[in-house]
Amino acid sequence: MRDQFSLDGKRALVIGASNPIGRAIAVALAEAGADVAVATTTPSKDEETIANSCANEIWALDRKGFAQAIDAADEVDVSALVERTVDELGGIEVLVNAHDLPFAKPVPETEFAEWRRVIDANLGGPFLAARSAGRRMLAHDHPGGSIINVASVLGERGLANGAAYCSAQAGVLNLTRALALEWARDGIRVNAIGAGWTEGMAMAGDDESRAKLERYLPYRRLARPDEIAGIAVYLASDVSAYLTGQVVWVEGGALSHV
Amino acid sequence: MSVLDKLNLSGKVAIVTGAGRGLGRAMALALADAGADLVLTARTHSQLEETADLVRVKGRPALWVSCDVTDSSSVGAMIDSAISEYGRIDILVNNAGGATPGMDHTLTDITDDEWRVGVGTNLTGAMHCSRVAIPHMLEEGGGKIINVTSGFGFRAARDNFIYTTAKAGLVNFTRALAMTYAPEIQANLIAPGLFPHDNQAMIEWWREGKYTPMGRLGKDEELGPLVVLLASGLTSYMNGQAIVLDGGGLAGGHAPTGFAPVVPLPEAS
Repeated sequence: MRDQFSLDGKRALVIGASNPIGRAIAVALAEAGADVAVATTTPSKDEETIANSCANEIWALDRKGFAQAIDAADEVDVSALVERTVDELGGIEVLVNAHDLPFAKPVPETEFAEWRRVIDANLGGPFLAARSAGRRMLAHDHPGGSIINVASVLGERGLANGAAYCSAQAGVLNLTRALALEWARDGIRVNAIGAGWTEGMAMAGDDESRAKLERYLPYRRLARPDEIAGIAVYLASDVSAYLTGQVVWVEGGALSHV
Repeated sequence: MSVLDKLNLSGKVAIVTGAGRGLGRAMALALADAGADLVLTARTHSQLEETADLVRVKGRPALWVSCDVTDSSSVGAMIDSAISEYGRIDILVNNAGGATPGMDHTLTDITDDEWRVGVGTNLTGAMHCSRVAIPHMLEEGGGKIINVTSGFGFRAARDNFIYTTAKAGLVNFTRALAMTYAPEIQANLIAPGLFPHDNQAMIEWWREGKYTPMGRLGKDEELGPLVVLLASGLTSYMNGQAIVLDGGGLAGGHAPTGFAPVVPLPEAS
């Protein structure tokens, strides 16, 4: 069974490895045998430091990879990142869009520029990366690929003061379905991981709001990032070759609640 | 521990209902590949013996028990046999189900018996098995329940009342299990798309999958690893959810596959 799930020989790019879920996915893909390039979503020093340490973990597993700081909502940056991945790793079979720009604000106080920034970062970024990687995966000499978008339970349920973020996340879910249908016969699979409330992710808020959340979740705790990452290995692997256009929710049963 | 080590199911005991053929057999063999010990059930025993032999070839023990999941006393006896053989239950795959008489009848033609058998086979059976297996799972600290529904558990079809209603009921039964027994027990669903199980008539009926987005039908061996995934430590936070393995079917579904509207492009400004 290990062999069937193995990612030996696959080349992956993980954007958003500077947040806990993206980072856990990057490391899990490398553990399963893939070479993994990682990128930030903004050019900030803090994000770059985390991405660099993620690349160190990948090297420690004897896999190839690199870290790059980019603005993941910038066409030129994203396209150059995909090119570098293909150059340095030799190709790209797996793309993980783990973009996450948290944002919460009452709508009457939200500037349109803020709305656009949230939509661009959370939905535009995955679109740009899927477009660049997809162009490469559609090439005649390419074996196809697997694109994995990390979305949130907030793409399925609303949240007060979360209009912009919730709208962007819902967009990611349907970007996933539409792209899956567009590329279904080209050997490119597109799926999403619907992540539940996860430790270290900003939308879970401060300690007080986290404690409240934990009281309501069926597990009475948030997810650990590695618990979100396990499903990424399955989606990246050829073992899920018949799976496309799906959102796989990893949320501890939170969405089962009335 | 590497992420792939979490797929190891050594020391776990798995019950698969409807294990005589098709998906059930594929799932049983995949669980054996991952190291689990098997309990195989179905109504007719001849195919069960064959599945049991295939499991043993993989080096895992297999107990087969004839069982009608629609009959709670038959299910109770099956669980008793599993416990006396292995002493524990860790994984329950409620796979028994499928076509029943009258499932394509118009509403006014459905008889009471047809409805009762259809719902019993595709919904009540999973309740019977879960009800008696869960206390044993809790004794061991927890377990995994995997219910096999269908695309018809999420979408309906014309003149398809019995099957779609039962399979949708199974979806919400799974959610209730998930909320009630978390975090000790996780309950999730597999929803296979078009899987003909080597049945030539079904392959032709489904036009070899040309109307699914991917353009092909599913293969039984593609479902085996999925059940291992849901039984494994790789999905420890997944609960009350479904993985729909259907070649993209439910991602669209509002129009025939291959339909793409020709929309005039906006003028470039």
